[in-house]
Formats: sequence, C-alpha cells, structure tokens
Amino acid sequence: MKQNGIGFYTTGLSFVAGVVALVFYMINAKTDYFANLGVSPVVVGCTVVAVVAELLLLVLSKQNQPIWMDLAAVAAPVLLMVAFINLTGSRVNGIASIMTFENNAQTMSDLTSAIVSMAALLIACLIGIVSSYFNIRKA
Amino acid sequence: MKNTSAKRALWRGLTSTTASLLALTIAATPLVNGFRTDIDKFLGTQSQMIVTNAEEDPSSLYTYTSDYANTTELVQAIADLAERMSEEGVVLLKNNGALPLSQEETQKLSLLGFSSYYPVMGGDMGSSLTANEGTDADTVDFVQALAAKGFAINPTLQGLYTSLEPMFKTEVNKWGNIIEYYNITTPSTTGYFTSKEPSQSAMEEAQAGWKDSMNEYNVMVVTLARSASENGTYLPGEAGVDPSQNLNQADALGLSDDERDLVQAAIDAKTANGGKVIVLLNNASPMEVEELEANEGVDAILQIGLPGGYGFYGVADVLSGAANPSGHLSDTYAVDNSAAPSAQNFGNYPWTNADASISANSILVEAEGIYVGYKYYETRYMDSVLGQGNASSTVGSSNGSAWSYDSEVTYPFGYGLSYTTFTQTLDSLNVDLAAGTVTAQVTVTNTGSVAGKDVVQLYTSLPYTDYDKQNGVEKAGVQLLDYAKTGELAPGESETVTITADAQYMASWDSSRDNIAGTKGTYILDAGTYYFTIGNGSHEAANNVLAAQGKTVADGMTVEGNAANVQTWELAELDDETFARSKNGTVVENQLEDMDLNYWMPGTATYMTRSDWEGTFPKTYEGLTATDEMMEYLDCDVYEISADNGDPSSVIFGADNGLTLADLKGVADLEDPRWEALMDQITLEDCMIRTAFGGTSTKDIESIMSPEVIQNDGPNGIYSYPLGQYANTDTESGDPCAIEADDPNAAYKAGVMPSPVVIGQTFSKQLAREYGETMGNYSLWSNLTIYWGCGNNIHRSPYNARNHEYYSEDAMLTAYQGAAFVEGGMEYGLIIAPKHFAFNDIEINRTGISVFMTEQQARENELRGTQPIIEDAGALGIMTAYNRVGVTTSNAHTGLLQNILRGEWGFKGLATEDFIQDALYTSLKEAVMNGITMSCNTGDSTLEAVAEKFDYWTVENVSQDAQLMAALKQAMTWQYYAIANSNALDGMSSSSELVSVRTWYDNALTGATVAFGVLTVLCAVMYVRAAKKKEQ
Repeated sequence: MKQNGIGFYTTGLSFVAGVVALVFYMINAKTDYFANLGVSPVVVGCTVVAVVAELLLLVLSKQNQPIWMDLAAVAAPVLLMVAFINLTGSRVNGIASIMTFENNAQTMSDLTSAIVSMAALLIACLIGIVSSYFNIRKA
Repeated sequence: MKNTSAKRALWRGLTSTTASLLALTIAATPLVNGFRTDIDKFLGTQSQMIVTNAEEDPSSLYTYTSDYANTTELVQAIADLAERMSEEGVVLLKNNGALPLSQEETQKLSLLGFSSYYPVMGGDMGSSLTANEGTDADTVDFVQALAAKGFAINPTLQGLYTSLEPMFKTEVNKWGNIIEYYNITTPSTTGYFTSKEPSQSAMEEAQAGWKDSMNEYNVMVVTLARSASENGTYLPGEAGVDPSQNLNQADALGLSDDERDLVQAAIDAKTANGGKVIVLLNNASPMEVEELEANEGVDAILQIGLPGGYGFYGVADVLSGAANPSGHLSDTYAVDNSAAPSAQNFGNYPWTNADASISANSILVEAEGIYVGYKYYETRYMDSVLGQGNASSTVGSSNGSAWSYDSEVTYPFGYGLSYTTFTQTLDSLNVDLAAGTVTAQVTVTNTGSVAGKDVVQLYTSLPYTDYDKQNGVEKAGVQLLDYAKTGELAPGESETVTITADAQYMASWDSSRDNIAGTKGTYILDAGTYYFTIGNGSHEAANNVLAAQGKTVADGMTVEGNAANVQTWELAELDDETFARSKNGTVVENQLEDMDLNYWMPGTATYMTRSDWEGTFPKTYEGLTATDEMMEYLDCDVYEISADNGDPSSVIFGADNGLTLADLKGVADLEDPRWEALMDQITLEDCMIRTAFGGTSTKDIESIMSPEVIQNDGPNGIYSYPLGQYANTDTESGDPCAIEADDPNAAYKAGVMPSPVVIGQTFSKQLAREYGETMGNYSLWSNLTIYWGCGNNIHRSPYNARNHEYYSEDAMLTAYQGAAFVEGGMEYGLIIAPKHFAFNDIEINRTGISVFMTEQQARENELRGTQPIIEDAGALGIMTAYNRVGVTTSNAHTGLLQNILRGEWGFKGLATEDFIQDALYTSLKEAVMNGITMSCNTGDSTLEAVAEKFDYWTVENVSQDAQLMAALKQAMTWQYYAIANSNALDGMSSSSELVSVRTWYDNALTGATVAFGVLTVLCAVMYVRAAKKKEQ
C-alpha cells in the first residue's frame, strides 16, 4: 500500500465511477421509457475498454510503468468522454420530454438511471484526466 | 530521475486532458448538428439562409403583404384585438343592476381575493402568458389595466395582498424550468387542488382593520380563480381536493370555505356601507357557483376566462360600461360537475396487464355517448318533461333525489346577459337538402337603453324514433347548428341576421345502417318532425321546442317556452342518401368500429341512451384486461416492411426535372403535373429523414430546394419564438416585413391573447377570423409559418385542466371558431393547424391511454369539431394526439387518418405527431403509411442518426417496400404542397438557393477541435521526449 501513488487512488475512483456508470446504463437501457433505444455499442464498448484499462493500470502498474500503461491512462478518459457524449446525445430528447410533456412518476424513475449513468461517466472521465497526471506507484 | 518522471507524468496528463477535450469536440459535432434548430433557437443564431438572385424584382417574390407598416402597428393591433375579444368574450352571468359601474363607482374599487392581484392570465404550462416589457404593447394584469382605464382601487387591500405574496407561491415545472407562480395553479395529473385563498384570520393578521377600508371603497370586486394547464388535471369530487386543508370543499372546481368567507365579508361590508358585490370568475373550466347565483348578496357575476396580456383592458371596459358584454357561455355551468355522465369515467384506470414498455397504460371509456355537456342536461330535461326514458330517476342526480334540471344546472351553455335587452324572432327557416343548407332569418331588436351586440344561436331538435331506439342511434334534445353575431345595435335598432347552416350537421351517424358501398355505417336523417329554434342558450332553445310540442310549466318545465320562435320541417321517410357521400364525393362508412370497447370485448361497455337514462347511466370502467388481440395493436408494431408490397422500381426518386419548390409557389391544384415532376426529384433518403425527424422545424431539402420552416405553438398566440428571432433584418433585401436589428419589438412574443374559451364565448366568427389574420401578419414579420394554434378538442369534461386551449363543449362552436381562425391565417400564408386529432380528452396517461367510444359519438362530437376546419376552411396542417384511438396510436389509425381525414374530408396538408419522443410509440412506419408527414423527433439529418432511433428505418429495408416508399413520397408531397401554399416561400424564386451559414458556434467548435488536435499532438510529442529522457 505504501507504494501506491495518488494515481492509484484516483484511478480507482475513476474505475468505480465507470463501473457505476456502466451498471446504471444497463439498467436504464432496460427501463420502459428508454428500452426502445436499445443498448449502444459505443457507450458500452468505450466504457468497458476504459474500465478494463484502468483495472489493468491498478493491477499491473509498477514503479516504472511502461509506455503502454501511459497510453491506457490517456485512453481511458478519452473513451469515457466519448461514451458520455454519446449517451447524452441519445438521452437528451427523452429528458426534455420527461421534464415537460411526459412528467410522471414512471418516467421520472426511468430518467433517474439515465442521469446517474451520465453523471458517473462524466465524473469517471474527469477523475481519469486527473489520474493521468499522477503515477500509480510512487517513484 | 524524479524530475524526468514528473515531466513524463505532466505531459501524460496534458495529453490526456487535450485528447479528452478533442474527443469532446469531435463527438459533440454530430450532436450539435442534430439539435441545430434548438441551439439556434436558444442562441438566436441562423444556420441557413435563402439566397435569391439580386437582380430579381423583389416585389414579385412576395406573395403575401402585411396590413401593417411596422412592428409597432403590428403589436398594437394584437393588443387592440385582444382587448376587443375580451370585451365580447366575458360573460355576464348575473346582474341586478349593479353593473355597469358609474364613473363615481370606478373610483371606489375594493379588490378582494388574491387572484385580483395575481390573476390567471394563461395556462401554467401550454398557452401561458408571455409577458412583454419594453415593447410598444406591454402586457398588463388586472391592477395595471384598471389604472390605465382610470379606476381607483383600495390601497389598503392592495397592500394587504402584496404583503401576503409569499404564501401564494407555487413552483411549476414548465418545459423543464421551474417557474414560480403567484397565481393559483393547476394540480398535476397525480395531484390535487390546494386552495391559496387567505383565510379571514390570515388577512386580519396581515392588516388589522382591513374591512374598515371598504367603507370608502365600497364597490367590492371578488376574483375567484381556477387555473389551467397542459399535463394537469382536476379530479372529480373530494378526490381532487387537498385532504389536509379541511376547507369544506367538495370539488376542486367548487368553492372552499376561505372563498365563501371572503364573499361573505364583501356582502357584510356591503350591508354596512351600501356598496356592491361583484364576483369575477377567472377560469377556463366551469366552476360550481350555484351558491353565488343563489346568494342575493352577490349583485353581479362576470366570467372573464383567462384574459391573456391585454384582456383585462376589456374587463375594465365591461365593468365601467365602456363596453357592453355580449359573451355567451361556451360550456354548461353545472351545480355539481362530478354528477355529469362524463365524470364517471374521468381518471386513472390502468389496464390490469398494463405494459409500460409499449405505453399501454390505461383506458378511458366514454360511456356517456353523445351526451356531453348541454346535450346531456337539456336532453334529459326534455325527456323528464316528456315523461320518457326514466329521465326523472335518481340515477345521476347530484342531490340523491329525482333528477331535475334546476338542481343540476346553474347556467346553461350559450347563456349570457347584456346591459341592454334584445328580442329575437325567427322570421323564416328553409331546409334545402339538395343544397345541403338550413337557412334561417332572425330579426334582432335592441329593446333596451344602451347599444350592444347580440348573438343568434340556431338550434335544432331531431326526431328520436323507434328506429333510433332499435338501432342505437342517439339524438340530443337540442343541438347547436350554427350561430351569428349582430353588429352593434343602437337602442331601438333592429338587424335581420341570415344564418346559412350546413345541413349535414343535423344528420346522425348510424353504425348499423347499410350504405351504398355495401358495408355498414352512414349518416341518416330520420323521418319525422324537425324543430328549429333560437334562444339565449341551450335551455331557452329546449324550452321553446317543448312549448312547440305543447308542454308548459305544468308539465315540469322550468319556465314557459316561446313556441313562436320555433319552426318545423317534416321529413316523410328516413333519408340515408343525402349525406351518404362527403362533400368531396367519398362514400362514408364505419371507420371507427374499433373505438368501441365492445368491438374487442363484446358486451363489456354500456353506452348511455336516452331511451333509458336510469339503466344506462355510465358506470366506471376500470380493472379491464387487454386481450391478446388488443395487445397485437397496443404493441405499436402493425406494419411489416416487406419486399412483397409491389415493385420498388415503380416509385421514382432522385429524378432531374429541373424544378424547385418555388416553381410551384401558390399552385393549389395537386393534380398539376408539375407536382409529380417535382416530387420525383426528392430522394428516398430525404423522405426517410424528414418524416422521422420533423422536430420543431421542417428542415430544408435541397433536392426540391425547400427552405427550413419553423413550427410554433400555441392557441393563445404564437409564443415559441420572439418576433425578431427569425425575422429578416436585412432591410435592403426588398422584404416588406424586414425589421431593423434594433427593432423595439424584436423581443415581443405573441402568447398574449385571451384563451380559446374566451374566443369561443364571443360567439363571433369575425373576431376568430381577425385573430387568424393578426397571427398571419405576425407570421409575415417573424417568418414563423407553421402554427399549432387551433386547439379544437372539445370540452368533454370540466375536469380536463387543458380545456383552456380549446373552445367549447360543443362541436359546432368549436368547429366554426376554429375554421374562421384558420381561414384568417391562410390569407397571410400562415398554416394554422388544428390539434390534437383526435380525442385528447384527458391529460392523465396521455401517452398511451386507450380512448373508447361509439362511432356516433366520435363523429358527432369531437370529429365534427374538426370537420369544417378541414372541409370548409381547407386547413393545411394538423397535429395528431398523444392518446390512442381505441388500441391504435392516433398517428397510425387508418380509419381516422386515411379514410376520414384525407378521404372523406379531403385533407391535403402536412400532418405532425404531437411531441412523442418514444421511438416505439412514434409508430413511424405505421404513421407514414397513414399519411403522417413528420414525427416530432429531432436528430442529425443523416440516415445513421435516424436508424439509431428507428432501427428498421434504413434504406436497405425501406427500399424493398414499394408500398411504403409510395406512402413516403405521398407524405412529402402533402407536406411540401402545404409549404408551397404558405408564406414560407416568400422571398424565394426558381433561382433561389439554400446556403448554409457557419454560425459562431460552428466556428468555435471547429476552432476548438483544431486547437485541441494540435495541442494533443504537441503534448504527445513532449510526452514521448520526456519518456525517452527518462529511459536514457
């Protein structure tokens, strides 16, 4: 534990946020209101690759981490950003409609998982960016 | 070593930052394109413009011209019209001579009730007031209008209510924004009404001795209000009232003890100071005010509706006598709204097997049949006098005793008083079935002492025969056939009004009758005696008919009728031929059999019949389970795209015929071969994208050179965008409606008119037409062409909180006010579209609710309220509804859309869905097959974006189905036919080109993409250098 740098903890947080985003996205994609939009391979693909990359960073990182790990540290927030924009784009019409014309308990409930997923993705991305400034292990 | 490691981490971090931002800008680009219209709306930018050859004569490019020289004249004309509408639309319900006020009395007003200071001027959501400040026609509330008209009000009371302002606050979610309202608001679809009227103790606490102030200001004006809203509802009875309040309020539309106490305080003050008590009803849905009518302490009652931004000027004029009221109720004011047949099925009744994934939520069985509003009250009254149909049974009685009209109705439909008196005589009446007309001549004489206008209401009473009873054909005791308003008549002056009514609207739909197509269902005229009469409302008409039938008060009539004002017409034999075809020659037949619940579940529903009021009074239909057969339709997946639907090569797309839409500007004949030639040029991809993504603007199509056309809401005036948002600010362009960039009215929004209820209450087609003309002028200046502004669902129940956007409980009043409005707009190239087609009778579960009724009810109530707007006025746009028609979405019901709307009525215009965002419920392929020209979804104008939302909507799929492709092309033909016959093409010619404009945000996005790209590369390079250094 003593060898863990700041990057370990921030990457861990980003990883957790990414997993939370993924779980809530899958929940949201099965809600009555949003189910018809299906599951986006871009959102799932980018998020999965990002969290796997972060997991590898957490598990495999050494004091002198190889360049591919640096690439992973850069790629993770980029992928999370792409997933976030993609998810937001697919949900914005629904959000607008639920917040206005179709506002009821059912739709608000369906909307919650979308909001949580989007927020978690953005947080994961931002923490991922911060993480890339720090090493996983202390030098 | 540590230093190089830190540098490497720094460059890694910077690379990550810039790369993430690069990803953001790249990923956001298609998103921006998809929401470009909304972004432009928000930012006030423009992404596209029409460029026309500068050498063309500008005067030849503009088909429509405004009546106004500038926006100042325009907005002042709007304000003037709104004031006149209010003057003629407020209804004087009671007056013992207290009104009008003398000049002296106008200086002594005590405004009571917080709604005097915080009135309901529009809907909470939908047709809300757009307040304008700093323009040439600023909007005013009641207090401001009174001040402008020279009234003086009690400052003590004004201070009292102002000090209590925080307790009036309600937060309302309006289009996603939380808006603070200080007027009374409407319950949500799952909420209940909460009174905000301060108690007497709260008032005393706020301002001790406030009652004494009324000694000096002894004209007590008490305003009682109920708000209105889209996506809101009142529930019948105590279920709709906040249970925590204990205010002895039996119904949300009835009075609370706080309101009663306030009225009593005014009456007590009057007793002490010799003044007057005048009650203003500030509402759209009829309130229960029998106790005020019966209270002798109340001197006058004036129903003012929701007056909009200038209507209070009109209210002030009516109070002072500067204007003489001539409005008549567009709805029945019942003693107890919850006792109405329609109220027995008004609520949330979920399917037992509800499935939210397909929006199959609940049902609404309109078991009252045709007996909505006065058609119920007057018919049952007449039957009670005639002693038929068990009409005097206790069933449906509001007080538990034998049903009687006086116990059920406070003010009838069509009723209204004036400051003068009139006599009306029905001089002649002629029925000409060959011409399809009923012509009545009525002489109206002002027998009073002040000038005023009067309304002539022509009613008919149809024979209710044994044939009808055997075949389930219902007949209202009286029904409004047509109406007209006189000019202003001086005392003693007469005017003979000629009404030429459309005879088809006295025909009845007979679902069981064989028709000339060899199927079932047609319009019939029964054999027997037809009565025609006039009257100040439906009840006077009913009494006249009863009098002509020899009935008197001794038989149970409320008052004696006037048989002299009745004319009869005899039909020897049942006629099922005259109206067997619609006006365009289409054979009529049953189209809505699947709207009858019994079609799916035989024997389940009993629809009310006047042959047995007691036995058929509606029960509540709840706890029903949709059958498997119904589920096949409820799942919204009915049409199967197939290669077996004809030869795909037979449908031409992408031809090069050298035409543009401007070549067909104003070509009203759809048979003109140039239409086919033009539409052959359109591509399949364009058809697919534009039907899928109609959004809030009808975007450009380059293959036919059609411009983007902006869509707008709502029934109280165009309010979606400020006047200047899309206005032409190039004053050198030759556009007669171009404005300066700093035009004082550029920020003006026209959501300022009185609600359609007030417009209905004017009973003035002329004013409705002027409204259309005024909005047409506004359209020319603002470049806003498509207007979802004609709310013409009927008021099935007072509990529908959205009634403020619709005219009346009566189909003909709805239809003719709407038709005049639409015609007025068309004169200026504005496409005013009726909505919501059809049966949007409740806001609860409106996305998905299954509405059931008989075809007779559908055709004679709701659909009749739209029919003349299409058949006679020739509307070029329509919006479908959220709800289902039976089990089929309203945007995909073939009988309703293809066979009635486009077939029987000959509708040729564009048709949009309501704001449905659910991909499945949008029913895109089914909608296109049924003539819908655009959904309301938004997205990037690419097939990829479309397919992301509608996975079956790919070229590969659609191009194999000739039938679907033909439907797509037909839909686009209708859409661009409408646009070609609107003012959207003003300024365009054959040489016009659509030019995309890079907005500042496009440049910013591109700049950011380039900058972050460069920075990413730089950071990456620096990272590599740092990494290499570290390795070394």
